[in-house]
Parts: sequence; structure tokens; C-alpha cells
Amino acid sequence: MTPAMTTEFRAAGTDLSERRRSGVSKGPLMDIVPASDISGMNWGADGTLRIGAYTTIAAIAADRGIAAAYPGIAASAQGLATPQIRHLATLGGNIAQRSRCWYFRNPHIACLKKGGTDCPARDGNHLYHVAFDLGPCVAPHPSTMAAALLAYDATIITYTRSGLSIPDVLGDGSNGTVDNLLQPGEMIRGIELPKPLEGERAFYKRAISRAYAEWPLVEICARAVVKDGVFQFIRLTAGGIAPVPLRLKAAEGAMQGKAANALNIEVAAKLAMSGAKPLPMTGYKLDLLEGVVRDVLEKLGT
Amino acid sequence: MSTMTINGRVAPLPDDLDAMLIDVVRSDLDLTGTKLVCGAGVCGACTVLVDGAPVASCLMPARAAAGKTVTTVEGIGAEKLHPVQKAFMVHDALQCGFCTPGFIVEAAAFHGHWRATRGTATPSRDEIGAVLSGHLCRCGAYDGIFSAVAAACSGQFDGGDIVSPRVEARDKVTGAAKYTVDIKHEGQLEGVILRSEIAHGKIGELDFAPALALPGVGAAISLLAEDRIVRFVGQPIAAVAARDRKTALAAIAAIRITSERLPSVIGLDEARKPNAPVVFEKADRKKAGNVSEGGGSPAPWKANIRGPSAAFSLKPKLVRSWVEGARQEKNPLLVEGVFRTGTQSHTCLEPHATVAHFEGDRLTVHASTQSVFHLMELIAKRYKLDHDKVRVIADHVGGGFGSKASLGAETTIAIDLARAANAPVRVAFDRHEELSVTGYRPASEVKIALLPSEQGGLKALSVTAYADTGAAINSTIATLARLIYPAEGKELADFDVISNLPPGAAFRGPGGPPMAFAVEQAIDEAALRMKVDPIELRKRWDTDPNRRRLYEWAQGLDVWRNRKSRAEQTGRYRRGVGVATGYWLYLWQPGSKVEVSVKGGRLIASTAIQDIGTGSRTVIANTVAREFGLEPHEVEVHIGDSNLLVGPGSGGSRTTASVVPPTLLAIQKLKAAIEKNAKRKPAPGSNAPWRELLAASPDLTASGVRPEDSRQMAPGVESPLKQVGILGWIFGKMMRWMSNMVIGAGVPSSVQVIEVEVDTWLGHVRVLNVHTGIAVGKIAAPALARSQAAGSVIQGIGYALYEAREIDGRTGDTLSGGLEDYRIPGIADTPVIDVHFDEAGFDHVLGGSVGIGEVATVPTSPAVANAIYNATGIRPMELPIRPDRLISALKGRAAA
Repeated sequence: MTPAMTTEFRAAGTDLSERRRSGVSKGPLMDIVPASDISGMNWGADGTLRIGAYTTIAAIAADRGIAAAYPGIAASAQGLATPQIRHLATLGGNIAQRSRCWYFRNPHIACLKKGGTDCPARDGNHLYHVAFDLGPCVAPHPSTMAAALLAYDATIITYTRSGLSIPDVLGDGSNGTVDNLLQPGEMIRGIELPKPLEGERAFYKRAISRAYAEWPLVEICARAVVKDGVFQFIRLTAGGIAPVPLRLKAAEGAMQGKAANALNIEVAAKLAMSGAKPLPMTGYKLDLLEGVVRDVLEKLGT
Repeated sequence: MSTMTINGRVAPLPDDLDAMLIDVVRSDLDLTGTKLVCGAGVCGACTVLVDGAPVASCLMPARAAAGKTVTTVEGIGAEKLHPVQKAFMVHDALQCGFCTPGFIVEAAAFHGHWRATRGTATPSRDEIGAVLSGHLCRCGAYDGIFSAVAAACSGQFDGGDIVSPRVEARDKVTGAAKYTVDIKHEGQLEGVILRSEIAHGKIGELDFAPALALPGVGAAISLLAEDRIVRFVGQPIAAVAARDRKTALAAIAAIRITSERLPSVIGLDEARKPNAPVVFEKADRKKAGNVSEGGGSPAPWKANIRGPSAAFSLKPKLVRSWVEGARQEKNPLLVEGVFRTGTQSHTCLEPHATVAHFEGDRLTVHASTQSVFHLMELIAKRYKLDHDKVRVIADHVGGGFGSKASLGAETTIAIDLARAANAPVRVAFDRHEELSVTGYRPASEVKIALLPSEQGGLKALSVTAYADTGAAINSTIATLARLIYPAEGKELADFDVISNLPPGAAFRGPGGPPMAFAVEQAIDEAALRMKVDPIELRKRWDTDPNRRRLYEWAQGLDVWRNRKSRAEQTGRYRRGVGVATGYWLYLWQPGSKVEVSVKGGRLIASTAIQDIGTGSRTVIANTVAREFGLEPHEVEVHIGDSNLLVGPGSGGSRTTASVVPPTLLAIQKLKAAIEKNAKRKPAPGSNAPWRELLAASPDLTASGVRPEDSRQMAPGVESPLKQVGILGWIFGKMMRWMSNMVIGAGVPSSVQVIEVEVDTWLGHVRVLNVHTGIAVGKIAAPALARSQAAGSVIQGIGYALYEAREIDGRTGDTLSGGLEDYRIPGIADTPVIDVHFDEAGFDHVLGGSVGIGEVATVPTSPAVANAIYNATGIRPMELPIRPDRLISALKGRAAA
């Protein structure tokens, strides 16, 4: 059985339906029954939050409690796709969606994720691909929500496992044949968010060519606690630039305990590029990464 | 079996896991107002309400609607028009109408939510832009949509009757308008095409037996030429007709095929290399497509390079020596550069589609076409049928932009399959086909040298253009630089570079935008070096009387007078203002006829024209109504049917200038007949004499034929071809004989002043406002002309900033085959657009009106580029000016 022939779970189908229409995905299908344990949100007495995997992106985007406690989650949900998709698409589906690479999405072209032996984008047209070349496949991971959840140290619960970090579920990019490390038949039930920090704020920003409705060239979810003009806590995660959502630890380190001034921000923004390995056509993404990090750090600092 | 409640009725849902909600809505329930465009949740044309929330029905599994309440566009205004529908009609928030149902559904949901929470407050442009960000309109009706949604939310359409400036608007906002893709005959089959997966090869075996063995398959046919050669990925090989698309796709997959790969070459750079594989051997050259509106002229053709087409040059040898001399002397006024433009896809929202239906020896073809009459002629010729045995019908056409002007594969394949299967057959392309094989504006490399004279005149202009035409020829980019800015000498050379890519096609002002992108930036650069105001320099160098009036208007604009110099721009966000000029030819189609009748007291006008969203129905209705002192909606207009009198094609901006004059002649005759037959004259002082006469008139009919234009022209108005002397005369005659188009006197013109804001951190450009001055004579339908002008600007912004077909350079496969990778402008990318019509200049045309469709899009990309230069000091050398290119330029590095 080729990878494409394993049973796929279907939540709202916003990703899967398009792949089945084009013929990229053909295997058996199983509709998820939206049972109560995977729908809706539950606030813990300790200030934590559990969000069911079947919760729609629109519901997350519109929830006032999330906007207050986890503004980076809310803003990410508001910033992705289009209103008609957000009304249908689920959190679990967003995390487990397949690559948007235009070679992967072309039914006539073989690639690593479709049982092929190499990545056609690497030596081909990879204008929208990774600038952190961490593995054999050069498609960026498409989940905006995963990058936001990474910023909040969220954990993922499946029907067989719990306490999984985003890297536990999405890997480190070294396996180019998959978009996630969920086992066959393993389904996401929900996510758990730890209690937010006292006084934290967050911003989400994506660089695109038009005003809306584009897969990000670069996207950042940034959280921080800034007191008396000094970054007490900073967390930066990036999407659109690597096969997995990335934490920008060098940039975080450069701001931790530092004053929110232009010079420090500029240094941190440059350090966001640490570890980058751009492809011939993706060098521009590092310039955009620097710009977006600067943008969110300035907003957090003021 | 599970059910849903749709528009108040209970309807069953299929058990098929792969059935989408849109399949049930359109096919099972025949609610065809909901449109399938992208099939990927990007464009919003399929939007329906599920339990009140707008969702993409193309991605929602039908099973998921079980127990839910669904509302389609047909359910929005079922009893009486919704305020949003009325607002769209009044504000002309639509053109071809194919995206309109999706916008209506989403806007109605927003309207309900807004009124419940905000009362009759007016939503801002930003709020409307965000809520409609999941909808795309290729005609660019966004300007009207902003106004319509704001007006409806603020309560302006809560009650009362309304009148739309567009006569068929009601059908488009209610979903009642039937397009070709909506036609369904009894026993109709669905046709699907097997396309080449290789860029160049010879097809061996083609075994249909396994396909024909599948239940529900009606026919399978070969589409190969005798040599069995395919020359691009996507070239049709075979086609199948079956009871539904799913079966047809299975049949296509079952065809046994063998092929032998031949060496291929992809794109402008590779195809020009000395040892590149040759795409068309001499004997095969007739198989190449055409990227122009008319036929081409002969040109040398060696290997993959066809050209130079240089007939419009003037003293080219002298130009070469002048430019070389200036280069040697390091003359600072010599402007040189190599500009590159991207491949722009037409992206009609209604795909290329045809339904062919034989009844005995009669063939009826519903087609999404830009020319019902000419298509009938082409079909009759190809299939050796008499004209009266072929009928082409197109009630509504969901966009064309040049890509639906000829006899396309969708039509011949539908006819061939219908004949083979002995059943009606529909062929409708999917979005990937639409974005790969239906033509495009070729990418180009335009090398330019511009030399001012010592006295401040224009001494020499040299333009050499290589166009990435794929399996097609006849690009004219450099050639167009002859008909503007007279110089002492011009060296103009056009080359087609042929490769194993799908053929390009004519696209709205073919060759115009790439020419303007290079020439208008060179003029801007010359003005800077000469320290002359860029509009002042154009006034000095451009002798056309229409444009000289537009320059006066542009110089008076506050945004122009208050613009800052580049040196004053600092900080992250920088604003700049740019200007550019464009022109197009005034074309009309000889022999165009219009019939005007009075029948039962009602006026009826008819001609075999089609309305692709440009408003030809309304132009005719307005013309008739005006002459009789009636309202346009009181005139019945019949179009979109080749059985009517011969009408013009919707290409070359020719419809208005072709149909208004014969309409006026027919009216003149009809009026005379009515008066002659009148038993009673209208009461003296009647304020509606014709209303009275019409009410009492017997049924009468008159028709008019497009007359030649008057030779009495305003000073300075002449055919642009006069500048080219005898060659221009020959060119004009060729156009008339070969392409049935006359190039008239006077030059439709546009001058645009555009303000942008550049985010220098993210390489992002936002167009803030556009002032577009247009001279196309008298405006026959003002609201619709404004919509055309604004839509042209929006399409020009797409060309300038976002749109590029992307291919795989090794296989020749189109990668940007979906609407998320081929990026057309959305509503939130729309600037504030100010349209200025200068109505003089075409008094020699009966009625005084010429076409607007093409000229208004020509100057947008260079005006945006000049504005970016004014803001940043970066000269954009390549389209589209995407973040990747701009950020690299801002950082002083070469882009990938």
C-alpha cells in the first residue's frame, strides 16, 4: 500500500476535498464524527485551556476568552485562509493538513510525499519554498495554527497519546515523506494550552504580496512580557520558511532581558536568520523574516 | 438517507463520500446560480450559507450538510430582492456576473450581521475588504462592490424600487442568468480531455477499448494530428464523453497510451540558445497559435526565433549609430535598460465551455465566446455545414479578455464528441486547464534605448522585444512604440521566441502593456535626467490631441502637484506618485448590422453581438432609449444568438464603435416608418411624443449597417497609421481584408496618475489611489464605462504587482494552475479610483463613441512602477513587482 492509500480522516475537508478533486489523494476515507470530546473549548480551573480538534478556526478567531488569554492564537486564526474556509476548517485539520507545494499538488508529478524518490522543487521552481533547508523536502509546513501553538507551548492530545509537543507531532523536517508524525489511524482529539503569563501580549504578522488570502511568504507569532520597556519574556515562532514551524531562539535570546529599543530590535531581527539555509530562489524570505520580526518586536515594545 | 433543508425545501443528500455540496446544489437540484470556479476554496464563487454562515460549497462534503439549513443565491431574494442585491444593481457592482452570486451570498450574510449589531452605521472600506477577502472578481467590479455593500448596510436600499444602469443586472444578482456551463439538455454527456503530460513527444498507441468498456461512456475520440506529435504539456490527445464527470475521468484514466519523448525546450532563455531543440519544423509552422488580435505579417523564422518584425521602424540604421555615438560619448541623457514582464493569464471566471447539440442536421452550440456570429462562421466552415444549420448561443459570458475570440478546443471537441456519441455534450475546462492551456499574455524581454535631442526633443527610440509566446507567434510589442511619441528615428524589432509551452493568445491590448512598461519608464527616467516634469515632457513629445487634453487634466490633479521628490522620502513606509500614458487603436467591424423594431408598442433591438461583461446589451438599450426619450429598461435587447443579424466580436474594443452607428441608422429609418404609418400626430407640446407614437404604431422593423466614418475630423485627428506612411496604409488594408477590422481615425487614449505606498521592510506595495483620464469619445453607458475603466485599472494592478504564471523549467508543466498560486487582485487590493472621461475627439464617428476595454489597462503597470521609483529610488525592471523582487532590490541584491 502506497502512503496515499492509507485511510485519511476527514474533518471539514477543506484541504482533502481539493486533493481528491485533483486526483492527488485517492485512498479510503473516514468522516470524523464530531463527538463532544473533540468539539468546543474547556477552561481549566488553573487557567489552562483545552480546545477540541473539531473546533472551527472561525470559532477560535471569534472567541473573546482566547483573544484575552492567548491573543497570538486568536490573531493567527483570524489571519489564515478566507472567511468561507475559516467557517468550515477545524483546528485538528489545520495541524494535520498536507503540504501546499505546487509539485505535491500536481497529480502528474512525483515527489517524496507521494512515494517518489526525490524532491522536484529542490532543483525546480521553489519560489515559495523554505529558507531553512532542514530536510529532503523543501516545502514549508502549511499550518499557521501549529506555529502559533508552538509559541504557546501547547501540547496535543490524540486518542492514543497525550502531552505531545508540536515537534513531537510535526517532527524536525528530516523526514520529507510526511507532513506529520501521527501514526496510521492516530487522530488528534485536541490541544492544551498552559496558563498564560501575567501581563503578556502577542502579535501575529504575515508577509504576503496582496492584502489577504495568501499563503504566507513568512509568518511570525510573537508573545512577550514587556515591563518598564524591558523584555521580561519573549517567544518568537515562524511559519512559511521551514518544513516545520520554527522557534527563533537566537532572536529570542537577543531580546530576553533587553530594552525595547531600535538597536536591540535590529540586532534581534538579524539574528532571526540564524541557522538559515536558503535555496537559490528563497533568499528574499530572510529579508522578509528580518522585516516581520522587526515589525512584531516594535509593536510588542511600544 | 440524510437530508438538508435548502431554500426552504427538504432535499436528499447522496451517500457518495466524494460528492461535494456544490455537486448536489448545481447538478441534482439545478440551482445553477452557485458557480464552480476554482474548486479550491479560493475564489468564493460557490459560496452558500450553511446554518447562516457563508462557506465554500466546492470543498464541503455533501454529507456534512445533513440536518442543516442551506441557502443559495436563489434563496436570498426569493420573494423580493434583498437590499444587497438592489445595491449591487444600482451601483453596478458587477460586470460579467459570474462571481456575483458568491459576493451576494457573502454580502447578504454580512449585511444581516451588521444590521443586527451596528444598525445603519456605514461599514468602512477596510471592514468590507476583510469580510469579502475570500471572493475574487476578474472583471474588477470591486469599486462598485465597496459602494454597494456600504450603501446596503447603511439602510439605503431597505425599501422602494430601483433602476439599474445595467439592463441584465437583475438576472445576475439573483443567479437566474444562464451561462454556457449551466446549460443542460436531456441526455447530455460530459466531455473530458486527455492531455499530454510531456512537453514534446510522439504518441504511439491509443487504445480506447478499456475506456469504452466502462458503463456510462458514450464516446472516445482521438484528437491527434496526422503526425501524432504533441508540443506542450496539456496539448489535447483524446477526449471522452460520459454520463458524468467522474465516469469521464475514469475513462480518460483507462485509455491505454504509449508515447515517445522528443527533445523539448522551455521558455525564453533556453529556446534562444543556438542548439535548442526546434519546436516547429518548416512544414509544421501553420500549427502555431496567434497572440494578436489580427493576423500577423510575414517575418523571418529561424529555429525557434521568428523575427524581426521591424516594418514600423524609421531610419533604424541612423538610430543605431546615434545611440552608439551617445553611448561612446557617455551622454547622460541616453536612457537604456532591459525590462521584463511576466506571463499573465486571462483567468476568466467562467471557464472555456461549450455545449454541442445535434438535432437532425442542425447543430446548436452554446459557447462561452467573445463572438457568437464569427464562431458560427468558423464552425460552419470547419464542419462544412450551411450557415443556417449552425446556431451559436451565448446569453451570458463569464469573462473573455481575449481568450475566447476564436474557435477553441472546447468547441471542436464538444462537437466531435456530440457527433460520436450521438448525444448532446458539454465540455467545460477545469481551473488547471483554464490557467495553463487557454492562452496568456506572453512574458517578454524588452530592450530599450531612448535618446533626447540637444534641443530637448525626442531624437531616437530603439525597442527590441522578445516575447515568450510558447507554441504561438505574432507578438507586437516594439511595433506599437511607433504610434506614439514621434521621433527623428525609431528602431523597432519584435521577435517571437517559440518553445514547448502552451500557446499564448491575444489578451486585452495585446503587446500594449509590456510596451508601455518599458517605454513609459524610459520617458520617466529621461524627464528626471532632463529635470523636466514628466507630464510636461510628455506634452512636449506627444502630439496626439486627445492625450494633450488628458495631460492638462493630469497636471491639475492635487496628488500630482503635491507629490514629493524622491529625496524627501524616508522611513519604513514611503509614498510615491507616478504617471504613465497609454493608447490603443480605434477599431470597428465593417458590415455590423443592428435591427430595431416596434412590436406591440414595445421597442426591440437585436444583433448577433454578445455581452462578456462589458455592457454591450446596455450600450444598445441606452442608444435606442435616448433617441426615443424612453428609459433603457423599456427597450428589449436581443443578443447572444448567431441567428440574429451579423454583429461584431468582443475583441479589439470594437463593439461600441461597431454597433452604435448602425443602431442610430436603424432608429432613423424606424422613426420615419413610424411617422409615416401614424394615424395621428402626437399632441402639440407632448413631453413624450415618441411614447405616444410607439404605443399606437403597427409592428415595424428597420435595420442599419455600420457606415464608414465621416472624413470631417477635428484638427490633428487622423489615423495613427498615417505616421507610418505607405506601410501603414498597407497594414490598415490587411487588417480590413484579413481580420475584418478597420483602424479608424483618432486614438483612444488614457493617462493615469497613481499613488502608492511601499513598505520597505516587507517589499509590499499598496496602491492608494488611481486617477485615470480616458479619451474614448462620448460615453454611451456612463456607469458601465466607469466600471470598465476601474476594472481595467484593477487588472493592470494585478499585472503590475501580483500576476505571474509559474512553470517548471524542466518539464514545461504549469505550476500556478490554481487560483492560490496564480494571484489576481482581491477587493482589499483595490485603490480609490477616480475616473475622468474626456468626451471629445470622435465626432467623425456616428454617435461619437469608441471602445474603452483595452486602452484603460495599458498605462497602469508603468504608472505603478514610476510611483515606486518616486517613493524608493528603485527602478522596477521586472513584472510583477512582487515582495521577493522589491525586497531584494531594496537590499541591493539581485532577485532570483
